[in-house]
Amino acid sequence: MNNINEYLKEERNKEWRVELRKSMKAKERTDKMRVHMPEADPMIRNKNSEEVNKGLVLQNAVSEAARCLDCAKPTCIDGCPVGINIPKFVKQIEAKDFNGAASTLKETNALPAVCGRVCPQEIQCEATCFYTVSLKKDPVAIGHLERFAADYERNNGNTSVPVVDKPNGIKIAIVGSGPAGLACASDMAKWGYEVTVFEALHEFGGVLKYGIPEFRLPNEIVDVEIDVMKKMGVKFRKNIIIGKTLTFDDLREQGFKAFFVGSGAGNPSFMNIPGENYNNIFSSNEYLTRVNLMNAANDAFDTPVISGKNVAVIGGGNTAMDSVRTAKRLGADRAMIIYRRSVEEMPARVEEIKHAIEEGIEIMTLHNPVEYFADEKGRVNKMKVQKMELGEPDSSGRRRPIPIENSEFDIEVDTVIVSVGVSPNPLIPSVLPDLNISRWGTIEVNPETMQSSVEDLFAGGDIVRGGATVILAMGDGRLAADGMHKYVSEKVKIN
Amino acid sequence: MADLTTKYLGLTLRNPIIIASSGLTDSFEKITELERNGAGAVVLKSLFEEQIILEAEHNLKEAGRNRLIYAEFSETLDYIDVHIRDKELGKYLDIIKQVKKELTIPLIASVNCVSDIGWTGFAKQIEKAGADALELNIFIMPFGFDNNCDEIEQKYYKILRKVKQEINIPVAVKISPYFANLGKVILNLESEGANGVVLFNRFTSPDIDIENINVTIAEVLSSPFEMTNSLRWVAILANRLKIDIAATTGIHDGKAVIKQILAGASVVQVASSLYINGISHITEMLKYIESWMDKKGYNYIDQFKGKLSQEKHSHPDVYERLQFMRYFSKLK
Repeated sequence: MNNINEYLKEERNKEWRVELRKSMKAKERTDKMRVHMPEADPMIRNKNSEEVNKGLVLQNAVSEAARCLDCAKPTCIDGCPVGINIPKFVKQIEAKDFNGAASTLKETNALPAVCGRVCPQEIQCEATCFYTVSLKKDPVAIGHLERFAADYERNNGNTSVPVVDKPNGIKIAIVGSGPAGLACASDMAKWGYEVTVFEALHEFGGVLKYGIPEFRLPNEIVDVEIDVMKKMGVKFRKNIIIGKTLTFDDLREQGFKAFFVGSGAGNPSFMNIPGENYNNIFSSNEYLTRVNLMNAANDAFDTPVISGKNVAVIGGGNTAMDSVRTAKRLGADRAMIIYRRSVEEMPARVEEIKHAIEEGIEIMTLHNPVEYFADEKGRVNKMKVQKMELGEPDSSGRRRPIPIENSEFDIEVDTVIVSVGVSPNPLIPSVLPDLNISRWGTIEVNPETMQSSVEDLFAGGDIVRGGATVILAMGDGRLAADGMHKYVSEKVKIN
Repeated sequence: MADLTTKYLGLTLRNPIIIASSGLTDSFEKITELERNGAGAVVLKSLFEEQIILEAEHNLKEAGRNRLIYAEFSETLDYIDVHIRDKELGKYLDIIKQVKKELTIPLIASVNCVSDIGWTGFAKQIEKAGADALELNIFIMPFGFDNNCDEIEQKYYKILRKVKQEINIPVAVKISPYFANLGKVILNLESEGANGVVLFNRFTSPDIDIENINVTIAEVLSSPFEMTNSLRWVAILANRLKIDIAATTGIHDGKAVIKQILAGASVVQVASSLYINGISHITEMLKYIESWMDKKGYNYIDQFKGKLSQEKHSHPDVYERLQFMRYFSKLK
């Protein structure tokens, strides 16, 4: 910790930072209003896959960066799961060294353009910003600035490739190309390891590709970040299911010295209520994967999804918002969220809820489905919902939903998307009998090193957490890389 | 040699001793042991809604303590109670499937209902998994003093009606004795389609520890003297109902089983006596019944079932409360 603090202090005391701080009075900085992210017109964007947030223009980014006070004790960094040197990159933007800002981001974050778009900064770095904590003002728009720097670099053809150490010839396997796996792969590659990422699907990026729609995170952004890793020497192999196509023993025989498992939580959960097996009732995993990854919105493809006219999405998280907004874009007249608590308890980002409402999504709070009905062909045509009220808070501090008796009524629906959570992919735990698994089906790891009970296997992301944000998964990947690096270094010394 | 075979809910049981829904019946291994020790049937441990809420609370607390379990904004955590219920139901159905695949003992599933929402769908899955019958353990705690008796009773009928619409296997209803007109409620349950009634549910009750000035839980296991209430109502209802009666609470030995059958019960349900004496106590109870039947010259259960029911008894008023008052008034 002292080393980090010393490093931050040293960076902050560099001449250009000192000069920049002096160039504007603190009062002038704090008097500035937070910049607004420009957005596509809601009534147009809800009919296409255009990205909703348009990104900051250069002048606005510089102006927003000038709000940052370049604090001596930058509390914003405490809120970042991957420990980005936030003041440094923000000040680089103020100094118009945009490529430098992007390089700073890449020192600790393999996917800055992704995180700038999908991280819940409002509960992370921006929640611990001096403006939020002490001034009670809107925080510096760190997320918007992160995206700006990453986009600027990419759009100007200056995409930098992080420096990698001399190859050490030690082979590392990463299982899963989602955010946890990519973060781990990036760090290991920087340290000179020979890294191979194995992906079960036909596209790389994991949940970034199959789970997050284009209008929130264009696939192209993910591809560019993966290309950077390829340039760093990371090998990517798709359509390989570790545990089936290749076993861990096969990989050990091929010379891999350690493994990082970031196979995610791809098992969708349902509510187990009557009628849930009728046609056109999907999990959000299936619905989004089919649309995002399998071109299901395109009639020319083999497995289209029905473009429902009355679509109900069950749940109040980001995945539910992604699903309902996707349904709207596929042509739904009525696309609604059905959530058993109130808006205040929704796990979705405030921004996502706001965007959904702007796009004409109905938010039906304090309602819960209790039964589905179908036509003679087994296609869902109606759902029974029950009204709820909020009772006493549970252990999470949120008020518990309680059904109101005799309050049920029917709603006509032709598509239902259930978005109430996921559980870890069971394949890898099932093929490794020595792997300790929690009662939730997640892989148990040492929280300091992310090492599992199988000594050469490290894990992180949803397979460990049962459901996490992109940035938390990336934090796990980085921590695991650190643990793996120490483990392999020890092993190599011994052998 | 006496034949103990009996019928309950249309099922043929090798004897009238059913192991009540309890910790004794919560796994395939335990049910295997019960079958080996001669049980006539088992009622699988109930799934309690309360239990699921407690488990969800535990998970939420764990998530607060351990940063590696569920992110704050996880949709899984948001619906954790639903997932726990789902997981518990899955385990429950697995036990049913395994018992039906590997054992021959009749298996009655049990659901603890407090509402007609959600659980009726589960009944369908229980039937699909292969349960021979379903016991609905209904108790609606009348905490809300605004509800009148009829409203509460209607909930019982509504749950039963809905379950009967969903499934074809026989359904028994286990109730408490706490109704203003118990007999009428039971008759109504019969007309709503119940195939049997289980008399009565016994609840965990509070007690007070006067040393530590604290509220505690009263004795969990029943005592033999607690049998009298169910004995009275079995006798009163035996010939008024066409459906089966299972007697439970306080049945601790073979003698008690015989008493309940004489009063009119088709079967009895036991649990506390096995907790106290061990599972081999089933064999002891069966031996006692056999030797009593031999001694009395009965070859079949039906020969003495209901022989002392209120209707058949020469002094039917012996089962009525007034007679008890007269009896007590004579005591000096």
